[in-house]
Amino acid sequence: MNNSEAKSAIFASIRQNLAASLPFDAAHHAHHAPKDSTFTTPVLPELSTENLIENFRKNLESVGGNFSIVYDESEAAEILLMMIGEKKARKIAVSDSPLVEKIVGFLKMDAEFIENASADRLFECDLGITGAQWAIAETGTLVLESESERHRLASLVPPVHVCILEAGQIRQTLGEILELVQQSLSRTITFITGASRTSDIELTLAIGVHGPGELIVILIDKTEEAEN
Amino acid sequence: MKISLFITCLVDQLCPQVGKATVEVLRRAGCEVVFDERQTCCGQPAFNTGYRTEARKFAKRFIEIFEESDADFIVSPSGSCTAMVKHFDELFAEDENWRSRAARIAAKTYEFSAFLVNVLKIEDTNASFSGKLTWHDACHGLRDLNVRDEPRKLLKNVRNAEFVELKNADVCCGFGGTFAVKYPEISVAILDNKIAEIEKSGADAVVACDASCLMQIGGRLSRLGSKAKPMHIAEILAAQE
Amino acid sequence: MEHLTAETFDQNARAALADTQLRGALKNLAVTFGERRQAAIATVENWEDLRERARSIKDETLAHLDKYLTDFADNAEKAGAQIHWARDGREACAIVLELLKERDATKIVKSKSMATEEIHLNAALEKTGIDPVETDLGEWIIQLAGETPSHIVVPAIHKTKGQIADLFVEKVGIEKSDDVDVLTKTARRILRTRFAEAEVGISGVNFGVAETGTILILENEGNIRLTTSLPKTHIALMGIEKVVPRFTDLDVFLKLLPRSGTGQRLTTYQSLITGTKRNATDEGPAEVHIILMDNGRSRMLAHPTTRQSLACIRCGACLNACPVYQQIGGHAYGSVYPGPIGAVITPQLVGIGKTKQLPFASSLCGACREVCPVKIDIPELLLHLRAEIAEGVTETSTHKFSEKLAFGFYSFAWSRPEFYKLGTKISRLLQKFVAKDGKIGKTSGFLAKLAPPLGAWTAWRDAPTVAPKSFREIWKSDLENK
Repeated sequence: MNNSEAKSAIFASIRQNLAASLPFDAAHHAHHAPKDSTFTTPVLPELSTENLIENFRKNLESVGGNFSIVYDESEAAEILLMMIGEKKARKIAVSDSPLVEKIVGFLKMDAEFIENASADRLFECDLGITGAQWAIAETGTLVLESESERHRLASLVPPVHVCILEAGQIRQTLGEILELVQQSLSRTITFITGASRTSDIELTLAIGVHGPGELIVILIDKTEEAEN
Repeated sequence: MKISLFITCLVDQLCPQVGKATVEVLRRAGCEVVFDERQTCCGQPAFNTGYRTEARKFAKRFIEIFEESDADFIVSPSGSCTAMVKHFDELFAEDENWRSRAARIAAKTYEFSAFLVNVLKIEDTNASFSGKLTWHDACHGLRDLNVRDEPRKLLKNVRNAEFVELKNADVCCGFGGTFAVKYPEISVAILDNKIAEIEKSGADAVVACDASCLMQIGGRLSRLGSKAKPMHIAEILAAQE
Repeated sequence: MEHLTAETFDQNARAALADTQLRGALKNLAVTFGERRQAAIATVENWEDLRERARSIKDETLAHLDKYLTDFADNAEKAGAQIHWARDGREACAIVLELLKERDATKIVKSKSMATEEIHLNAALEKTGIDPVETDLGEWIIQLAGETPSHIVVPAIHKTKGQIADLFVEKVGIEKSDDVDVLTKTARRILRTRFAEAEVGISGVNFGVAETGTILILENEGNIRLTTSLPKTHIALMGIEKVVPRFTDLDVFLKLLPRSGTGQRLTTYQSLITGTKRNATDEGPAEVHIILMDNGRSRMLAHPTTRQSLACIRCGACLNACPVYQQIGGHAYGSVYPGPIGAVITPQLVGIGKTKQLPFASSLCGACREVCPVKIDIPELLLHLRAEIAEGVTETSTHKFSEKLAFGFYSFAWSRPEFYKLGTKISRLLQKFVAKDGKIGKTSGFLAKLAPPLGAWTAWRDAPTVAPKSFREIWKSDLENK
């Protein structure tokens, strides 16, 4: 495959065609020029952590996500224990996030926690636990960066995904998050908004087609504790 | 205020009463109305079928005729033909002179209902019509000229009439010029959705700003023996029933 | 199953119109997606500004496509991706085949990609004995059925759950159920075994960021994440128009695309992939290959009108809004890209010769332009292509001679008032033979043959007659001096 030949041919064609367009551009522009000057990003009020949490919760729940709020890691562990019991999960895939490790460390139970599972073993897991690096309140979205956490499969393959989030990680808008993650861009970033879904059959919603059918977020808000 | 009428060929030949009504409403509003008999067609059929050379001839002729007039505005009882005039400059992408002449003519050309409301600032024409009215948004008036509220304001002020909104008022009637005869089955399938809603509305008259849509809708209503009649907005606004 | 072609659009459309099940599905689509879209765009205050912004980003990119493509390729390579260039679909297929051969790979999973549909990649792979598995539920269904997608976003919209249930009974041997959950779970179960063994994953790309070399892929199901995470090798096929300059430009497109396509504020998953993994022990494929494909795209840069086609982000909103698509569905277009955007892209991609009907398959109502998130003036494009066909800029020798003659005559006569008036008089004379009660009813036989448009019109609609007195006559007699 002579790739450099194809590449130069494509670039030559791009330049040649753009040049051919020049005589027509002005007239077209007069009719169709985007009125870009009008574009302004709406200025949002500074939101308190409380507001951000509330917005996140509301939007997460609107896409079918499950939300609980706790004030520390040990309380998170209690909730987690309850959920694992409820789901009767025996094999649990976990990410390598220190927060997840710490919380899982609190759990006294005979389920198997598997970090860095092979594909075969992942397919046998009943539940996956990860953290997240950021969350977007306006859409109820979790943002996971591959270089902060080994999240790609644990958050995807098991039928239930539990994500442990900290209050300080929430931002209101997608735009803020894009700026933040760009500062040190992980090789893979995953945005997750709700459970896996499809409407491919008669536009009827079905949940859990390839990814998890359930998304559970446990939010740790330590300011809660201070107030308590 | 002096108005030069652009009457369009469909109105001229098939429904001259619409042109007459247009003149009546404009005169009642205090306008001086003139009509240049040299005008024929704006060339839209050619333009829409891809015959730009022909369309350009029509455009030049139109521009030359209306440039001679000292009228303040050009008013037409058709959203579609008005939109065509607004497209004239696109026919002269490489001819700065004709392009600017086209733009000048386009700037003073108005669809009838938009002219009444936006230029003359008239929302009540003292019309009276007994019956139930509904409105069909002709696509070019709606999407090329952005005429949406103007006709509704005018129709809601017609005495004795009841205005009902069609559920699919802003959906195409399936006319589309040569489309209606190139793909008649698709055209009529689209049309039948419109007809179903008109029947559901119980309207006595379906009103629009374009003779072409009215020909399409009316042709089907007539074939199906419906009680609903197609009427141009000028006819309603001129009515004194 | 035999695939329809664009050459027989008129026949395809007639068959579709007779298919009541299809028309029911299309009605559901138009209503459901229409309402969802309306609700979703109401959640942003500056929708119109966003559209303008998106379009200006696309315009800026396309005007300097060489620069942004270079940046994209350089930055993706820096991050470890391997870049390949394909002038056309044949070259792109050959690159994929070569990559598979080098890796001795035969177990392939695919996620939904219009670009791979465009170049018929599956057919090319199947010829060499490789059977790639489509993993998007809708794509898998039509792959099992041996059909083609009929919609950009919901490829199997033309099928009922009953038909899908029968298909699953036949092809995967489940007990018949038309419970959508059961069908979905069946797909999950079976496709998981395919994912587990897959050696190569093939995906498309929604956006490529020049500044960082990142590719962004959107989805709801999770099959794209599996396709791009599990196999050792990931191959992404990307049209050269998919590039955007800056990483933060994604903000605008992520607000527009899901809202326009499925009426969601955001699809369930976005994968932002920049090159390969940093450490061998990290998760994910060892190799990422990005094939940058032209396949007729650079030609569209040659005019500002056609260039707009390259701004398309494949949301499908124009299909859902189009009254023609709503009646006939996607297959009638006989091309990978159906609906209004298909009617303008297909003739440009594959040549106008065999797709001449498509630009005329529109009433020019403009509903597509109104919903397009990047403000593509599709009616303007349709008219541009109609002009190319009518005026013979491209291969049009077979364009109907009679039509050309008619328009030549019309332009001669109707631009001269005396001929125009004579025409009116002749019509009045002629209609005496066909008109009754001031209208023309169903015209058949000789007359319909003599004037086919009259026959086509009156088959379903009464035609009006020329008035006894034209407006210009009334003006002279009654109005002028009043």
